[in-house]
Amino acid sequence: MESLTFNIDNGYLEGLVRGFKCGILKRDDYTNLVQCETLEDLKLHLQSTDYSNFLANEPSPLQVSTIDDKLKEKMVIEFQHMRNHAVEPLSTFLDYITYSYMIDNIILLITGTLHQRSISELITKCHPLGSFEQMEAIHVASTPAELYNAVLVDTPLAPYFIDCISEQDLDEMNIEIIRNTLYKAYIEDFYKFCEETGGATADVMCEALSFEADRRAFIITINSFGTELTKDDRAKLYPRCGRLHPDGLAALARADDYEQVRAVSEYYAEYKLLFEGSGTNPGEKTLEDKFFEYEVKLMVNGFMQQFHYGVFYAYVKLKEQECRNIIWIAECVAQQHRTKIDSYIPIF
Amino acid sequence: MGSLFRSEEMSLCQLFLQSEAAYACVSELGELGVVQFRDLNPDVNAFQRKFVNEVRRCAEMERKLRFLEKEIKKDEIPTLDAGDNPDAPAPREMIDLEATFEKLENEMKEVNANAEALKRNFLELTELKHILRKTQNFFEEEEHSIVDDAQHALGVDDSRPIASQAQPLQLGFVAGVILRERIPAFERMLWRVCRGNVFLKQAEIESPLEDPVTGDQVNKSVFIIFFQGDQLKSRVKKICEGFRATLYPCPETPAERREMAIGVMTRIEDLNTVLGQTQDHRHRVLVAAAKNITVWFIKVRKIKAIYHTLNLFNLDVTSKCLIAECWAPVVELDKIQLGLRRGTERSGSSVPSVLNRMETSEEPPTYFKTNKFTSAFQAIINAYGMANYREVNPAPYAIITFPFLFSVMFGDAGHGLIMFLFGLWMVVREKQLLTVKDAGEIWDTFFGGRYIILLMGLFSIYSGLLYNDAFSKSFNIFGSSWRVTDDFPIYGPNKSTIISHIQLSPNSTAFQGDVYPFGLDPVWQLSGNKIAYTNSYKMKLSIILGVSQMLFGVILSTFNHRYFKNTLNLFCEFLPQVLFLLCMFGYLVMLVFYKWIYFSAIERNSNCAPSLLIGLINMFLFTYPKAPCSSHTFYPGQQAVQTLLVVMAVLCLPWMLLVKPFILRWQAQRKIGDRARQLSVNSGDLVIEDGDVIHHDAIVARIDKDKEEFQFGEVMIHSAIHTIEYCLGTISHTASYLRLWALSLAHAQLSEVLWTMLFRIGLSMNGYHGSIIIAGVFFAWACCTIGILLLMEGLSAFLHTLRLHWVEFQSKFYTGAGYAFQAFSFAQIMEFKTDD
Repeated sequence: MESLTFNIDNGYLEGLVRGFKCGILKRDDYTNLVQCETLEDLKLHLQSTDYSNFLANEPSPLQVSTIDDKLKEKMVIEFQHMRNHAVEPLSTFLDYITYSYMIDNIILLITGTLHQRSISELITKCHPLGSFEQMEAIHVASTPAELYNAVLVDTPLAPYFIDCISEQDLDEMNIEIIRNTLYKAYIEDFYKFCEETGGATADVMCEALSFEADRRAFIITINSFGTELTKDDRAKLYPRCGRLHPDGLAALARADDYEQVRAVSEYYAEYKLLFEGSGTNPGEKTLEDKFFEYEVKLMVNGFMQQFHYGVFYAYVKLKEQECRNIIWIAECVAQQHRTKIDSYIPIF
Repeated sequence: MGSLFRSEEMSLCQLFLQSEAAYACVSELGELGVVQFRDLNPDVNAFQRKFVNEVRRCAEMERKLRFLEKEIKKDEIPTLDAGDNPDAPAPREMIDLEATFEKLENEMKEVNANAEALKRNFLELTELKHILRKTQNFFEEEEHSIVDDAQHALGVDDSRPIASQAQPLQLGFVAGVILRERIPAFERMLWRVCRGNVFLKQAEIESPLEDPVTGDQVNKSVFIIFFQGDQLKSRVKKICEGFRATLYPCPETPAERREMAIGVMTRIEDLNTVLGQTQDHRHRVLVAAAKNITVWFIKVRKIKAIYHTLNLFNLDVTSKCLIAECWAPVVELDKIQLGLRRGTERSGSSVPSVLNRMETSEEPPTYFKTNKFTSAFQAIINAYGMANYREVNPAPYAIITFPFLFSVMFGDAGHGLIMFLFGLWMVVREKQLLTVKDAGEIWDTFFGGRYIILLMGLFSIYSGLLYNDAFSKSFNIFGSSWRVTDDFPIYGPNKSTIISHIQLSPNSTAFQGDVYPFGLDPVWQLSGNKIAYTNSYKMKLSIILGVSQMLFGVILSTFNHRYFKNTLNLFCEFLPQVLFLLCMFGYLVMLVFYKWIYFSAIERNSNCAPSLLIGLINMFLFTYPKAPCSSHTFYPGQQAVQTLLVVMAVLCLPWMLLVKPFILRWQAQRKIGDRARQLSVNSGDLVIEDGDVIHHDAIVARIDKDKEEFQFGEVMIHSAIHTIEYCLGTISHTASYLRLWALSLAHAQLSEVLWTMLFRIGLSMNGYHGSIIIAGVFFAWACCTIGILLLMEGLSAFLHTLRLHWVEFQSKFYTGAGYAFQAFSFAQIMEFKTDD
């Protein structure tokens, strides 16, 4: 039934996003990019890809930050185009994708104001996908309650924030807690939305979001070691929609060091592999990269099915990874630091 | 014609260019546009090539030019396009160009920065002016002043009894300007953060203001906020900052405000003059740039193209000269030599550039030299597939057959005339129309095919005259050979209205005995059995035309077989194919002519003439019934002849299918035997000389290749497919040619319907109002004729003709698996760039 009616509303956009997907850089492109001597070479090579002349109007010498801005700009233009042509429920789905950027922006701004940075400087660092009207006035707030009442109450993030109001004031620790609480609520809500949508969307998205939830749980646990976060508080931050829920999360809540976290992962075949292949020694990939790699695999698989919204999420995630890759290579090229240039994550 | 029959003979050439002369030589070749360079370093990255720096510098220059162009467009200054084509400048001129562009860009940037600063200043002052004016209104116009209002409102909010406010609270205020669309959110946020303890008043600025950075027109609003205490003040300010509102100082007393307003006004006036001067300066710079910008663009693009080409070349060991490989038509080699000499002279190099023809086993590209007349026809053929190198090209035949088959379907002299005139107009006004750019894709298609349209129109007039059909009416030029007398009950009471159609029969007395000298007798237009008559004629005509065209196609294949020295194909493909076609449909065509000539209404009873279709079917069933007279034989001994023909056609099948694969297998086996003998001789030498080892390897490799090449199963399958395709094709393609009749019938009927349903209404009106109505009806009829009959029907006939050529005709001899010759030509590069 889905395949019968899906294209009425979403056929154009799905076609579009699949077309965009074909423009994602291939392994060959990366091998070429890695050989670049200067950023000018990089620009020249990117010209022969789908990016064509997105840097053509930038005067030399090129900065990595310009490349970053332009990459983001291209992605945002593509996303906004899709968002503008979307109808319900795809439009809501696309909005959900932007919420994670909003959360990041809010946290960035609060942290920035905490460190006495000027708001205009911070705004430039925000991701354009997650900008909202009240964003720039965020420094009015000095407590979570104020933040909620003054700024967030009008944004779609408001329902996620309810759990954080009780925090007393905004310090580093609390900001992290707010971030993770927001993410938890966001992922769970998004998960619910996808489940309600049903069909192939639910199949693909629930898998992607479960992974996202589990990744957050692992990372939160690992990062919490050696901080004053209590185990109870920590357990509250775990998103409860992944594979780890409920047993794995309970085990994670009790974990005291990295080895115990690894022990938890032993019970889950796919995570076990990730933990086994990771390490901090040279030549080994970090756990973070391993997670990214796994995410890329999931997202590429998302394109295997048709007639579902997961492709849009997958495309945004893949594009984000591609931006990270290009920036990584560009940084390595710019700083003449070639030993680590190969640790990008190829997509196709 | 000679060049269109087969593609140009190409030769792979090697060029040795002195490194200092290479640039000038390539530039000359680019102007000539007759060589296709091959990439000699395909595995070198774009940024690792030799001239990548120059390419980059060109890209940078292009960027600057684009920037200038954007600025010129912004100011709507017309650019001068004289259509001249400057030579690619010498490499040292590039530095001058770079310097010029650099200077211009910097100047522009400086001017822009100045203008932006001035505009920002101007914007601020204008905003301040508006604030002063609006707040004046706020403060003065209302009955009790706004301050009271605010105090009142805030007083209530403080939940204190109004009466207890013995003296007014000390209220502070800020005034500023904000984007209009941001007001609702701004207001909400103010209310939330300050818990309702502020009083906001706003008014719209009527005229939109210019944003200094983007130059867009934006709508803004003035606001004034009253509050109490310093804490609120800092919050309000923060919110204002957050919403990008600009705050301005606003004095409290009316007198000060008035004074300030006057000051602002004078400053605005000063600024206006300065701004005007800046704009003038900017305009002057841009006008100067606009004169040259097209020429600059061409120059830079040529330089870039040359360096891109140089990047394809190999550097020799001493790096004194560059080695290039290119495909070039043999007839142009002299021109190329000349160009190279010119280039060498121009660069002042003492050593001449060398052009060397190379032997190669590679398939050369296909290149047809076309002119404006033939190019459209060639394009139609190329759209199906680029011809193989030196294969027979169907384009020269298509020049005549294409418009002719079109006209068979579009046979109407009137419509043809309109089409012809349209084509003629485009051809005559060619020069003017060529200069029109961006006229849209549809126009480009029509204009590109102007000669096709012209010929199609001309041929349609001819077949329209043959059909004696113009807008569904006939001409009676020579006088009809029929006399329809009173015997026919066709006239109504007053002899002017025809009450029924006449049924014409050549047996009756109405036929005078002579034949109308040219085309169809006009009387058929009025007869009731017109369609039965024309159908029979057009159907037979379609078959005749179709079989002749297919036969012609099969015959053309001999030119290919003979040119490529493929005797095997001649005997194992062409011969059975042509026999098969002739035995079946060649015979049918012969019968058609026989029936036309032999039977006539008067001498032999044509009602009892044998039917062609049933005859053909019976021929394959070997049945010869006696029952209805229409299934009698045409001539005595027909049974024997037809049996022989069918047997021959059937024998052609195994001939086509089996002979060639088996001969090929026999040849391949013999070759392998020869090689094996050779190899055993060579292996004796192997031990003695090292050089022979390579030789030996080469032979083994070649034998392996041969083994790979000849696989009997594959050849057999290929042959089977080919045979089935040809045999089924012959039958279905013949049937497919019946579309000539079908479309022609549809066209004639549609045109008649249009006449009777529309135009006749107008003609049958009497009196004065009739003349008015006829004008209206004519309009409708003309629109329908152009829209439906000319455009839609024309398009459909065109597509059917296209199909008949691509499928029915070309499948007989045309492979179309070559690749096109893409010359390195400045003209093409420029055209492509302007298309972007």
